[in-house]
Amino acid sequence: MTDSTTQPMIQLEGVDKFFGAFQALQNINLSVGRTEVVVVIGPSGSGKSTLIRCVNRLEKHDAGRVIVDGVELSDDLRNIQEIRKETGMVFQQFNLFPHLTVLDNVTLAPRQVRHLPKAEAEALGMQMLTRVRIPEQARKYPGQLSGGQQQRVAIARSLAMQPKLMLFDEPTSALDPEMIKEVLEAMEALAKTGMTMVVVTHEMGFARAVADRVVFMADGQIVEVGTPDHFFTDPQEPRTKLFLSQIL
Amino acid sequence: MTVAVTPGPWVRKHLFSTPFNSVVTTVLATGLVYLVSALVQFLAGADFEILRVNLALFMVGSFPRNQLWRVVVAVLCLAVSAGMASGLLLAAARQRANTAGLGFERPSGMTALVNVVRRFWPLLVFIIVCLALTTTIAPTLVTMAALALLSASRLLSQRLHRRQFGWIAVVVWPLAAYYILSSSGLGWDDWGGLMLTIFLTVAGILFAFPLGMALAIGRRSSLPVLRWFSVSYIELIRGVPLITLLLMGVFALGFFLPLELRPSHVTRVLVAITAFEAAYIAEVIRGGLRSVGIGQTEAASSLGLSNWKTMRLIVLPQALRATIPAMVGQFISLFKDTTLVAVVGLGDILAASAFANAQPDFNARGLARITLPFVALAFWAGSYTMSREAGRLERSLGIGER
Repeated sequence: MTDSTTQPMIQLEGVDKFFGAFQALQNINLSVGRTEVVVVIGPSGSGKSTLIRCVNRLEKHDAGRVIVDGVELSDDLRNIQEIRKETGMVFQQFNLFPHLTVLDNVTLAPRQVRHLPKAEAEALGMQMLTRVRIPEQARKYPGQLSGGQQQRVAIARSLAMQPKLMLFDEPTSALDPEMIKEVLEAMEALAKTGMTMVVVTHEMGFARAVADRVVFMADGQIVEVGTPDHFFTDPQEPRTKLFLSQIL
Repeated sequence: MTVAVTPGPWVRKHLFSTPFNSVVTTVLATGLVYLVSALVQFLAGADFEILRVNLALFMVGSFPRNQLWRVVVAVLCLAVSAGMASGLLLAAARQRANTAGLGFERPSGMTALVNVVRRFWPLLVFIIVCLALTTTIAPTLVTMAALALLSASRLLSQRLHRRQFGWIAVVVWPLAAYYILSSSGLGWDDWGGLMLTIFLTVAGILFAFPLGMALAIGRRSSLPVLRWFSVSYIELIRGVPLITLLLMGVFALGFFLPLELRPSHVTRVLVAITAFEAAYIAEVIRGGLRSVGIGQTEAASSLGLSNWKTMRLIVLPQALRATIPAMVGQFISLFKDTTLVAVVGLGDILAASAFANAQPDFNARGLARITLPFVALAFWAGSYTMSREAGRLERSLGIGER
C-alpha cells in the first residue's frame, strides 16, 4: 500500500481519447490533490466534459493512465466499480430518476451498493438533503421540483455515497439564471468541507472564488493551468488571453 | 348541483350548427335508427336455444361433465385471488398516500358499488348474458358465491400489508385453481371453450413476457453472440405468421420426436404462441428501453450500480411504464389470436361455436348468426376491459413523470 494521504486523488498521465477519427483528448497530464478544487474551463468542444468523464470511466480512455485514489482504471470491472463508488458525479441535465421519490433517489445507491439498512440509508439521505437545504422535498418526485432544486437533489444523491471525490459536469448550464446561485452556493459549501472537486463550468465567478486551480482547455489539450489570481489577471498563453477576452 | 341544460340549444349548437353538420347528423342518425331497429328485430325473433343447450361447451369445451365441480372450485379460487390482490393494492395505495401526506378517501357503500359497475361493465354485461342463458339456478349461485368471496377477501386482505400475501394472492390461489383443473388424470387436452382461451392467453403472456424481456435486453447486449441470437430470433419469428407456427408446432414437431416424447397438443400450441408472442413483446420492450435516456444509465453507473442493477432498478421500470399502451395492445391481440388454435384442432370458444353449429339439432339452420355474436361478445368484453384497465394504470402511474 502506498501512503494514501500524500498521493494525489486523481492522476492523469498522457491520456488520449478518440471518438472515431476525432481526437477529443490529446496527451492530458493532470494531477488533482486531496481537498483540492479544480475548475476546468474552455470553449465548447474543447474536451472538458470528456476529461472528467474519463475519470469515472463513463468514457474509456484510449491511451495513457488514469489513477484515482491509487487505483488505476483498467478493463477490470471491479476497479471501475471501486472508483465509481468513491466518485460522485453531477450532470448538466441532473439525470435524477423520475420514477423514484427524491428520498429514494438519494438512498438508492447507499442501499444497493453500500448495502445499508433502509432506516440507516434514509437517515443518511435526509442528512444530505438537509445539507443542500431541501429536506422538505423528500417525498416528492423530481418532476415536481424546480431545476435548481433538482440539481441540489442530484448533489445530495452523490454525497449520500460519501464519496472522496466529486465531479461536476456543467452543473448550472441547464438552469434558469435565478436558480444558478442556489446550486453554486451548495457547491461552495461543499468545497469548504474539504471535498476534492473537479468542476467543468462557465461560471467564472465561481472559479475565481472557489477554485484552488483553474485548468484551461482548448482542442482537447490542456493549454494553461494556474491559480485563479494568476490565471484571470496574468494569463500566459495567447489562446487563454483570447478566450478570456471573449467571455469577460 | 349541475346547471340544468335544456336539450334544444345543446342540440342546435352541437348537432346542427352548420349545413354540413346537419347533413352528417341526419345521415348518421338514420343509420343508427336502422341499426337499432334491426338489432331489436333480431333479438326478438332469435331463438337462443343453441346457446342455452351448449353453454357448457362454450365455457369449458369437452371438459368431463361429471367433473364440472372442479371448474366451480377453480372459479372460486380465482375470485379469492382477485379479491386479495385488489385489497392489497388498495392497502398499498393508502399507505403510499399516507407517507406522501395526502388524504386517502375511500368511497363507501353505494358509491363504491357504482364505481365497480362503471369500471367493469363490459365484463358484467357478458356475465349477465351468460347467466340469462342458463337453465338451472346453479351457475347463478356460483357467480354470487364468487362475487361474495371476492368482496370478502378484498375486505380482509386490506388489513394485511406484507409482501408475502401478495404472492399468496397472485401465485398460490391461481396455482390451486390450476391444480384442481388438471389433477386426477385430467390434462390440458381436456380443456376447452372460454376456459382454454383464457388459459392460452394468460399462460402465453406469463411465458412470453420474461422471454421477450430477455430478448430485448439481449438485443442491446455488448456481447455479439447474444445480440446476434436475439436479433435473428426476433426477425425470424416476426417474419412468420402465427398460424404457420401453430401448424408447425402441431404437425411438424411430431416428426422430430419419438411418439412417447411428443407433448400434448395444448403444450405444442402454447410453445408456438409463446415463441411468437415473445418476439413481438421484445420489440415493444425495445421501444421502451430506447425511450429511457442515456443520462439515466450514466447517473446510475456513476453511483456505482452494476449494469444489472441499473437495468433492473432504473431502466426497466421506466421502460416498462412507457410500453404499457403498446404492451396491452399486444396482449389484446394475443387474446384474440388464440382463436387460431381452432385451426389445429383445439376446442377453444370459437371452435365450440363451430361444433355447436354442426350438431344434428342445429345443423344447416344458419345459426352462426347466433353463436358468432356470442363469441364476439366474449372477446369484446375481455379486450375492452383490458384496454380500460390499462388506461387506469397509465393514469395512476402518471404521478412523478417528467
